[in-house]
Amino acid sequence: MFANLDPKSAVPLYEQIGLRLKAAVATGELRPGNALPSVRQLAAKLRINPATVAQAYRGLEEQGFVELRQGAGTFVRSVGGDSRARERTAQARRLARGMLAEAARLGLSRPELRDAIRHELDGKGGIA
Amino acid sequence: MTSAIETTGLSYRASPNFAIHDLSLTVPAGALYGFLGPNGCGKTTTIRLLLGLLRPDAGSVRLLGEPVPQGLPAALARTGVVPDRPHLHPYLTVAESLAFHAAFYPAWDPGWATRLQRDFLLESDRKLAGLSKGEMAKLMFLLALCQRPDLLILDEPMDGLDPVVRRDVLGAMLDYVSTRTGTVFISSHLVHELERFCDWVGVMDAGRLVVELPMAEFRSGNKRIRLSGADTVEPGRASSSPPPFTLLARERDSGALETWVVRGWEPQMTGWFEQEGIVIREVADLDLEDGFVELLRAFRVGEQAQRSDHA
Repeated sequence: MFANLDPKSAVPLYEQIGLRLKAAVATGELRPGNALPSVRQLAAKLRINPATVAQAYRGLEEQGFVELRQGAGTFVRSVGGDSRARERTAQARRLARGMLAEAARLGLSRPELRDAIRHELDGKGGIA
Repeated sequence: MTSAIETTGLSYRASPNFAIHDLSLTVPAGALYGFLGPNGCGKTTTIRLLLGLLRPDAGSVRLLGEPVPQGLPAALARTGVVPDRPHLHPYLTVAESLAFHAAFYPAWDPGWATRLQRDFLLESDRKLAGLSKGEMAKLMFLLALCQRPDLLILDEPMDGLDPVVRRDVLGAMLDYVSTRTGTVFISSHLVHELERFCDWVGVMDAGRLVVELPMAEFRSGNKRIRLSGADTVEPGRASSSPPPFTLLARERDSGALETWVVRGWEPQMTGWFEQEGIVIREVADLDLEDGFVELLRAFRVGEQAQRSDHA
């Protein structure tokens, strides 16, 4: 779930962690009632500042994805179907935004990009 | 007490060719402070001054609020140190060195020491003389952590260790700081290592402090900006208004494109480029290592200019 976190990225680490966890909720990898790893475990495992993990968890709590139970840990809340759908849409848009930014950097035009996406979708790509 | 470490105007001449100049460091309590600089820039000398192992020619040091050297015993009782070279007795066994070390520290945590010894695969009856470099590093971390210090001072602790050992010792250190509010002061010339967890950074070069600030500020203030139409602009010339940021480096890309590396960047500064008739193509963050390298490069050019002014 946390493979390839990138400390060099312009996206702060706490946000990267939050995004990974939200993606896991959206895809059902994390289910309501599941416990997140403790701040301490995750910080040691990922070799990052514990404050960064705590900040990520606080953000998720504010957005209603998890709840902090005093003394017990952090748990995934049951999110409704539309909230999960919203999150999936958000993930897809994030992906598209990243691709557009990269395309702009390379100076690709809209038709070129559209053709490339259509070509990949029509091919044997792994997407349903 | 707000600072775990504070030095004011610290100066120390180590040799005819090398000195620490007017060093003022402030390490806030609770910070994970990365102390960066190239080899030989004075990091280890500074740490030795902090710990009272060297006496400064001028200036003062406070360690955990205690003046150095008068308050050293009180401060060192709460400070865990991993020095650049292990100082343990080679003829002791692992168990003996643990018992020896524990005797000096009232807050020693025997339960954790046992657990870490097991996690680190350090067998009790091994003689220290026979430990590998990685095993020795793990033992040094274990000793420093299990005394439950308020301040950890680590001098190039990851230098020459394999990735497995690095993960083990860093994991243990971060586990420790997540259970209590301790301060970590960690020196390294391996910048990328510190990027993951440090929240403060101090950079030294040639015995001087180049910069000291929160990591987030260091990262957000350093940018690489791609521009077009900048080729006719000379910032600082009378014809153009001086830029509100510091230009660290500038290179010509293909055609009319240029890349500027700047420091002290804030979003509203795009206005300056508009005013100069320059078009911004892209503003990207510099990672810590790039920021560090560009900063040192610019610092050295400035130093050299100053020296030739004096000459």
